[in-house]
Amino acid sequence: MIDGVVVSKPIIPILNNFLFDIKDGELKISATDLETTMTTSIKVDAKEDLAIAIPSRTTLDLLKSLPDQPLAFSVNLEKGAVEIKYDAGRFKLTAQKGDEFPKNPGVDGGQKFTIPAKVLQKAITKTVFATSSDELRLNLTGVLVQLSANDITFVATDANRLVRFNRSDIKPGVEDSFILPKKALNLLKASLPNDDTEVTIDFNKSNAHFMFGDVTLVCRLIDEKYPDYKAVIPQDNPNKLLMDRNEFAMSVKRVSITSNKTTHQIRLKLAGSELTISAEDIDFENEAQEKLKCQYEGEDLEIGFNSKYLAEMIGAVDGTEVRLEMSQPNRAGVLLPAVAEENEHILMLVMPMMLNSY
Amino acid sequence: MSHQIVHIDLDSFFVSVERLINPKLIGKPVLVGGSSDRGVVASCSYEAREYGIHSAMPMRQARQLCPEAIIVRGDTSEYSKYSDIITEIIGETVPMYEKTSIDEFYMDLTGMDKFFGCYKLATELRQRIIKETNLPISFALSANKTVSKVGTGEAKPNGQKEIPIGTEKEFLAPLSIRKIPMVGDKTYQLLRGMGVMWIRTLQEMPMELLQQVLGENGSLIWRKAQGIDNSPVVPYSERKSISTERTFEQDTIDVNMLKGLLIGMAEKLAYQLRSEQKLTACVTVKIRYSDFNTYTMQARIPYTSLDHLLIDKVKELFDKLYQKRMLIRLIGIRFSHLVHGGHQYNLFDQTPEQIQLYQAMDKIRKRYGDEAVARAVGTDFKASKMNPFNGIKR
Repeated sequence: MIDGVVVSKPIIPILNNFLFDIKDGELKISATDLETTMTTSIKVDAKEDLAIAIPSRTTLDLLKSLPDQPLAFSVNLEKGAVEIKYDAGRFKLTAQKGDEFPKNPGVDGGQKFTIPAKVLQKAITKTVFATSSDELRLNLTGVLVQLSANDITFVATDANRLVRFNRSDIKPGVEDSFILPKKALNLLKASLPNDDTEVTIDFNKSNAHFMFGDVTLVCRLIDEKYPDYKAVIPQDNPNKLLMDRNEFAMSVKRVSITSNKTTHQIRLKLAGSELTISAEDIDFENEAQEKLKCQYEGEDLEIGFNSKYLAEMIGAVDGTEVRLEMSQPNRAGVLLPAVAEENEHILMLVMPMMLNSY
Repeated sequence: MSHQIVHIDLDSFFVSVERLINPKLIGKPVLVGGSSDRGVVASCSYEAREYGIHSAMPMRQARQLCPEAIIVRGDTSEYSKYSDIITEIIGETVPMYEKTSIDEFYMDLTGMDKFFGCYKLATELRQRIIKETNLPISFALSANKTVSKVGTGEAKPNGQKEIPIGTEKEFLAPLSIRKIPMVGDKTYQLLRGMGVMWIRTLQEMPMELLQQVLGENGSLIWRKAQGIDNSPVVPYSERKSISTERTFEQDTIDVNMLKGLLIGMAEKLAYQLRSEQKLTACVTVKIRYSDFNTYTMQARIPYTSLDHLLIDKVKELFDKLYQKRMLIRLIGIRFSHLVHGGHQYNLFDQTPEQIQLYQAMDKIRKRYGDEAVARAVGTDFKASKMNPFNGIKR
């Protein structure tokens, strides 16, 4: 589980190792890339307490190829050697002293709240795909978590689209906000159990600490200012489209096959209760068009979108029907589930693409 | 099966068009290009070539070589009009062609010989172009692009040539290495320094030797010298970049004026992008100092066609690039990595008002011409009227 933390080419070589830290019959295994540290613990039979760093890749390769069975580790700290004995044979690896392994940063003077694992997992799944991968805008590469007395809000945007996920049944009881980096979120997403296990989150200005079951994850927060996302969310877009989610998603997917491979531009044309989705790739003279029946209130409208964004967002909305609310061809469109779930408010916003029609 | 490739090229195209407009120019040395001392020869008549003048030569030098030459300013829109007519005729006649410049085409006639005879077809095409436009044109037919291009050079002026399949090597052998496309001034000097003058010598050299001297290009040049060229005829496609540049009457160091000019250029090109429904992802700024050293700097950006994003990038690049406190002779910008599509609006980079402003300005330009409205700071820059997408050098 924790091997996702290890990067392929770390800044210092010891980061290629797992730290095995044994204390009072409990083994803690940690991996870190200096930004994110993940630790898991298990009970073991140990003769003495010790800490040693073992090459992660080789150890994992061995463990993955072994059937379930007890393993015996014998460590020679002086020589820096570890021997792993199993049924059929033994394995010898070089190891480094545990005290050379970077220490976990503490989260002193922080605040604390709890959230059920499946809620956190859902919040991450719904938002993390919309983060930016532009290293020049570091603040957008993570997910903003906003805490208040009575609800929690997760926000992700890459400046072209935005997702806001809000739960009013989680009451952190504190007013604060921080930006979590994408890597830590993806690690959490993969390791969180899909149940009501309580996740405790400690955080201060620079780090956040997640604890659930026998796993802890510490990550450095993105120390940047998040843009004022509230200002860009339009209120009361007048042109409202209601569609079957699946039908809409499939149609966008099919039409986008012929869209330009770089811009992914598709065109939605709304007239009466008919939605026409079309795309063209001038370079290859490909084009496609589909007409769908829909429920639409508002003026006739023609608007361009990046089909990749649109498809991802339609896919991320729950429920059988989605609502797309628009105002003008150059203003943001808002995508919502037709029926909101209890205590959960999700809003997706996508900026259109310029259609030349003057 | 071997290919049948035709290279067709108009003879001193600009001069020929000028002669259609003004028949008095026929039979006289004519130069097309900027008439000031700082201009260069864009095209010259065969009469002028006898004086040693060639295209891309500085106008001043050309005038010294042949004081009685008639210099014509040139009219790019007229040239592109004729180019379009010829493109149309070619498009009607052959199944696949590639337009490599305003006056030069490759055609792939592979398989046509069954029905028409390739040489006959190309001859008829040439006659038709001459009849319909009155412009002299030459072509050569061979198995590949390189040999055909060299062949056209040999067929000129106003001629045609066939290099039968299998005789490419013999055809190239007695020619100067200069004739190989790719061998420019520098390579020529280098090869001459090695004692290589004729293609025959190149043909007899081992490829590894050329590779050592010229690197990657060495093997390409060697293959071309052997008459081997597998590059396909790529059907005419639009330009992958648009650019503009300005050479100053007098070298300058006036940074404010330079910036204004750059803004004007960026604005004009951005409008052209939008009116062709294109986006760019790469911005390049070019500076030529008075000592003729030329520097460029480029940056990748997210796909866009909006003025303020492009102008900011251009200014940023200029600031980074303009480091020497030296007089500047030329500045230019280029937008490349073009794709067809509309700008992806950004949540934070622009306001709806800005978008509306651009759309309103574009509407005005569309109706009253692209000089009608512009940022005040950039009004010094007057773009020429021609379209940057059809492949005419500015």
